[in-house]
Amino acid sequence: MSLVSGPGRGGITEGQLPSELRLYVDKHVTYIQSLDKRKDELEYWLTEHLRLSGLYWGLTALHLLGQPDALPRSEVLDFVISCLQDDGGFAAAPQHDSHMLYTVSGVQILAMLDALDEFDERVSGGREKVARFIANLQHPKTGTFAGDIWGETDTRFLYGALNALSLLGMTNLVDVDKAVEHVQACANSDGGYGTSPGAESHAGQVFTCVGALAIAGRLDLVDRDKLGGWLSERQLSNGGLNGRPEKLEDVCYSWWVVSSLAMIDRLHWISGSKLQEFILKCQDPDHGGISDRPGDMVDVFHTVFGIAGLSLTKYPGLVEVDPI
Amino acid sequence: MASHGVPRIAPTEARTGQARQKELEKIEEYVDLVAQVNKNIAERHFTIEVLALTSKLLKRNPEDYTVWNHRRLILQHHFKNPPAASAQSQSVSTALSASQQSVLDLITSDLGFLVPLLVAFPKCYWIWNHRIWLLEQSTSHLPAITVRRLWQDELSLVGKMLNRDKRNFHGWNYRRLVVAQLELHSPSDGHADSSDTSRQTSMVETEFIYTTKMINSDLGNFSAWHNRSKLIPRLLDERQADAAARRKMLDAEFDLTQQGLIDPENQSMWFYHQSLMSTLSPECPRHAAIVLDLTNHDRCGYYERELARVKEMLDDYQDCKWVYQALLQYAAVYREVDAGNKACTTTEMRHWLRELQRLDPLRSGRWDDIEKSLGL
Ligand SMILES: [Zn+2]
Repeated sequence: MSLVSGPGRGGITEGQLPSELRLYVDKHVTYIQSLDKRKDELEYWLTEHLRLSGLYWGLTALHLLGQPDALPRSEVLDFVISCLQDDGGFAAAPQHDSHMLYTVSGVQILAMLDALDEFDERVSGGREKVARFIANLQHPKTGTFAGDIWGETDTRFLYGALNALSLLGMTNLVDVDKAVEHVQACANSDGGYGTSPGAESHAGQVFTCVGALAIAGRLDLVDRDKLGGWLSERQLSNGGLNGRPEKLEDVCYSWWVVSSLAMIDRLHWISGSKLQEFILKCQDPDHGGISDRPGDMVDVFHTVFGIAGLSLTKYPGLVEVDPI
Repeated sequence: MASHGVPRIAPTEARTGQARQKELEKIEEYVDLVAQVNKNIAERHFTIEVLALTSKLLKRNPEDYTVWNHRRLILQHHFKNPPAASAQSQSVSTALSASQQSVLDLITSDLGFLVPLLVAFPKCYWIWNHRIWLLEQSTSHLPAITVRRLWQDELSLVGKMLNRDKRNFHGWNYRRLVVAQLELHSPSDGHADSSDTSRQTSMVETEFIYTTKMINSDLGNFSAWHNRSKLIPRLLDERQADAAARRKMLDAEFDLTQQGLIDPENQSMWFYHQSLMSTLSPECPRHAAIVLDLTNHDRCGYYERELARVKEMLDDYQDCKWVYQALLQYAAVYREVDAGNKACTTTEMRHWLRELQRLDPLRSGRWDDIEKSLGL
């Protein structure tokens, strides 16, 4: 199985919006299932470099929609294992290189399918191997993590590393205190966090930094009122959320912003119902999937983050998502 | 990573037979090209021809990180085994050896390859990463003066990028990196007799001027304000500013925000004002501080002045939530400092809160929490 990624193709008429504001569950399930069958579209091939993450996003969406079996488990597992490289990292797809981003997706899928033991049976010492790959990417001096052997660092990788290691039960392999120190160095006076020390606060980076602190059990370091204030200002009058002051709204921030608010107990500082309205308007009612803004092309990335945003704000009928 | 701002288009079924055939041909061509590159890399054919194949792929799909890795392997191979420099690429600076010249040629040509890609895909992480990697490579293979010239060119490139998109956070991150590298590779390096290298190599003054320029062209450029707030404490340290100079700087910044707040909906301005106010706090860390010797009396003075200034805005803007938000926030801190209560009353604070609840129902949960925590 090698599937589920890349923009799908959306509705027929330009900018067609859902006629009624409800969640088109069946359409979304069909949309996600169809992503594997799009090999006759150039886009399918142009998105191979994020296939494993695409699979994770699709599976998560299906879990939240209450249809975890809509993709065949054994084929998913086979594909995940086919992405494992000799160095213990996962690549986006076979024939690609290991990278932190896909290693995290690989581990997340294994955990979601409750397949970590099975993974160890099929790949001897698999869990440990993967954990070591991740641990080796920690920078001993600064505590931050590189994405791969080429060395680029980013708080996205730091969060991913802690997340995957905690799923594997092996955070002991890294220096968590150093990692926390690095997160602190990325903090800004507005309460938010940037991608590296000195960088401007950005909702995506806030999520990775707060998520990392949550995993490390150090949420005490967050100025909740200040950060909650900054995050709540991300909501615009149309109900959507942006990632930084004076930028456009986008469905993917429904996840970054809302889960961060949930982690610091400030979820009630934005309007959940207005956000739900905005997300529902971004659906493609005919072919399924959710886009960044109403009328735009859907893709699996915005589909999962839209559904996760709905789940976090307690939209009826969805499985509750864990904000971390 | 995903599609942003792309309008929905006709679905697969709607494609005509001809368009479909064309797409299938394109797929075949693309998949062939990928297979060809993969095969060559697996067989360690790190030739300039294979490099050209990766260029072809990356122009089509700059998000394919593995192809960038392939490209690095090829370049690395040539850095280690530089071909004899050709007669045409005669070095301008005669200081370079033939092999250094060929490394420089490779790096320069690769940097050039990236420029149109950056312009077309300014948010693609991998392109920025590859650029940084190339420049880091120059450090290990080329003399310091050449490296410095390369970084110098980057400063003008990133200036152009930020003129095209003033908020691109890749651009701002890159600018900070370039500046840090230029400071590191300063020409004064290696001169043992230069007593204070930190002052000679620092670019903090020119970067501060750059933020002024960016702000003057757009008061809503929060990225520039942000960078400014990070530069000021360092600037003061490097100027070895005394207490008076530090106060002068803080006052000047407050005055600047006054100008910006002519438009009370300017969110960037409010966030910057808030960051200045946060430097007054006794909890403000040293690395972010502007004035170092604030007494509580000083603090109250600043709070009273700023509260008065913001209050004055109410004369013209009674329906701008930012005004009430700032008043309430600053008043709350002011009350804490030395139990200050001259500049505002509880009745006033209660009024500001009601206005916020009226004007900003989206965040009613926040205002309700503040109502409780302040006992309003
Ligand atoms: Zn998005």
